[in-house]
Amino acid sequence: MEQRREEIRAKAARLAELKRARALRGSSESRPSIGGDLSDIRVGGASRADERRKIDSFIDSLLGESRPGSTAPGTASPGGFQRGSRPNSILSAGELSNETSESVPQPPATPSAPVPPPNLTTAALTTVFECPPSPVKEVFSYSKGVQTTEAWTEPARPRAQSTISDVDDISATVLSPSKRPSRRERDREEELRQKIREELEEELKAAKEYIADGVVPAATSTNYPSRDLTNEELEAVIHSDDFVDFLDRSTKVIERAFNQETYDILTDYALQGQEVEDEDEETGNTGGRGKHRVKEVVQFFDDRWSKKRMISGIDFSPKFGELLLASYTKNPTAPHEPDGLVQVWNAHMHERPEYVFTAQSDILTAKFSPYHPNLIVGGSYSGQVLLWDTRAKAAPVQKTPLTGYGHAHPIYSVDIVGTQNANNIISCSTDGVVCGWSMDVFAQPQELLELKNPSQAKVAVEDVSPTCLSFPQTDPTFFLVGSEEGKIFPCHRYDRAGAKAGVDKKISYKGHTAPVMSVDFHPAKGPVDLGDLVISSSLDWSVKLWKVRAPAATSTIGAGDGNIKPLMDFVREDVVYDARWSPVKPSVFALVDGAGWLELWDIAVETEEPVSKISPSARQDGRTMLSKSLNKVAWEPNEGKRLATGGIDGSLTLFEVASGLGGKEGLKNEDWTNMKKLVNRVDAVGVNGAVVV
Amino acid sequence: MADKSAANGQEALEEKLDRLSRKPGVKASIVLDRTTGSIIKTSGDLSALQNAKSRTESATASFSNEANVAEESQSRGLEEFAALIWNYVNSSGQLVQELDGEDELKLLRLRTKKQEIVIVPDSKYLLTVVHDTPPA
Repeated sequence: MEQRREEIRAKAARLAELKRARALRGSSESRPSIGGDLSDIRVGGASRADERRKIDSFIDSLLGESRPGSTAPGTASPGGFQRGSRPNSILSAGELSNETSESVPQPPATPSAPVPPPNLTTAALTTVFECPPSPVKEVFSYSKGVQTTEAWTEPARPRAQSTISDVDDISATVLSPSKRPSRRERDREEELRQKIREELEEELKAAKEYIADGVVPAATSTNYPSRDLTNEELEAVIHSDDFVDFLDRSTKVIERAFNQETYDILTDYALQGQEVEDEDEETGNTGGRGKHRVKEVVQFFDDRWSKKRMISGIDFSPKFGELLLASYTKNPTAPHEPDGLVQVWNAHMHERPEYVFTAQSDILTAKFSPYHPNLIVGGSYSGQVLLWDTRAKAAPVQKTPLTGYGHAHPIYSVDIVGTQNANNIISCSTDGVVCGWSMDVFAQPQELLELKNPSQAKVAVEDVSPTCLSFPQTDPTFFLVGSEEGKIFPCHRYDRAGAKAGVDKKISYKGHTAPVMSVDFHPAKGPVDLGDLVISSSLDWSVKLWKVRAPAATSTIGAGDGNIKPLMDFVREDVVYDARWSPVKPSVFALVDGAGWLELWDIAVETEEPVSKISPSARQDGRTMLSKSLNKVAWEPNEGKRLATGGIDGSLTLFEVASGLGGKEGLKNEDWTNMKKLVNRVDAVGVNGAVVV
Repeated sequence: MADKSAANGQEALEEKLDRLSRKPGVKASIVLDRTTGSIIKTSGDLSALQNAKSRTESATASFSNEANVAEESQSRGLEEFAALIWNYVNSSGQLVQELDGEDELKLLRLRTKKQEIVIVPDSKYLLTVVHDTPPA
């Protein structure tokens, strides 16, 4: 409405101006001498009358800025010329009658009243609406101009000035452009201001009332709080997923922030004579001495989730060195909790897991995917391979079917092999079935291999019962499985020249007399290739070191029964559940045993005794009997300084080793060559021994 | 399953805040709505969530043995505290916005001589925890 009214007002103003202009033209034509008498400007305009067209265009371009004084007559008269060019005679006739009537009152009015231009417009408004019907053409030409709404008011001003200018002196014309619009605007602004003021006053009044009542004292500072939430609203907010997520995230952040505070950055040593506690070398749970020291860093245990469960698998995140996962068996005393559990712990957040993942069956092994840091692969007692995503909720995002294709027996071992762009999950169940899965398709395995016992002598069971498998770093088509009968079998995923897929019939690694619990290939990330070294642990109280024949070279073994003896034998004092090579030190490995010891070995230093050993501190409320046994050990793969153990009591313990056992600084090439030499020597001795026997 | 998980969620919520407040040094925590500043949840020692003046006020109120008055002044103190925090977060957020329009405020840790206030702002809510710092 406002706009419309304004338009109308503008139109009216313009009409009036044009009329006046026409009147001027009439007057200038009829009495040029008078114009000259009135002002010099007028004279200038009259003298240039022949150049009107040029000036007209010039003015059109400069409308807003033009000095109206000089151009006024120009604009006025050529406007009349151009527009009226065709119907000049008619118009002039028609106009003249009008103009004369108007022009007559104008000259007398102008000298007396330069001040009330706004009055003039209002007066024009009335006249326009009454008079113009007679010159229809006129209206037509203006209506054309009306269509550009913005431009309407602006050109109106200079022309309006022009009408004044020829009677006013220059100072008046200069003033008028600023005055006229400003007055209008000022009115509007004034209105707005008034409104705002009223609103503010109302608010202030309200605020004062509040203060007086003492209801909402905080209202003085900004508009806070907007209001109290009702109980229903509170409930709604508290139950919303958003809120739960937020609280989950934010409390994690705060807990991490608190745990980070090992060192107070604001400490002022000058200010206080307080003794700065030196981290005592012997405080806490440590084992070993000097550069072979092992120190317990932290123990992870969640009262709700870890209780009465056993740790069945541990793995460090390949991307985030502070994250590690542990898989758990079921809690027999809590039938309503999910049986299977994987917790991802953060070394910087001790009291609770970063993520909790669940499954309907005991999880027997779990691993981070080395190629997708968000994905975790697990194997369950029910024979399912499960996939969790740290971006998703606790339930697995994918799982293999329980029946039909795939495994029907517990999966104690999974691995992810291949490259960044082409990798497979390899799972192995105790009935000897090894499956290869694509990360995307869990409905059925991409490949399925049944391992059969190759021994010639008739055995009661034909199946191999694999307990664990391990792939060499370099070859994703060849792997070793440790079996319940104590042998370690080399296996091929695919048919090769001279060997079918499955267990290699020519060779087996015989040495253990009880089920093999772990097989681990040397990580072989160094100047000398040690990738053919394998350590295995077994329930026969020993760890053995093997040198694995390259899969292609197997056929060269002629007569023999194909049984290969271990290179070295490390006899322990209890069953050994797990043994793992250090990812950085070529001669270091760690083992955990049934007595609850974590032992660190450096076979370049000592082959009879561990260089250091440590037992995780017992939980206060834990059982004392038979609760110490450790099931699994895992190294942090990038730095090799930390390792974690877990076992029957369900607590995951993180240790840090000193420079002699881990860490990349101080790594020397000699370490690798020494290891190689040692292995070669032992190999030779072993061969001699075999000859003697 | 759904209602069970909802119940669990509720429990887990309580548990998370409880766990926070049980941590050594933690005095109290409060959850506010980011847009309006309304108080959604508090836990821990509420007197830590007041400025010193209103703390003494509520203390004197409690001396006067009028439970009503004490409670009221405490809730008023709480609201004042929430207002302070809210304004603080907003002005900090504004600072960040003006430094770089695409940036976002993620964490505020305010160390004082007596305590530390840790604020985790989010698009919808903000969590504030007040805790003691080791003497520095």
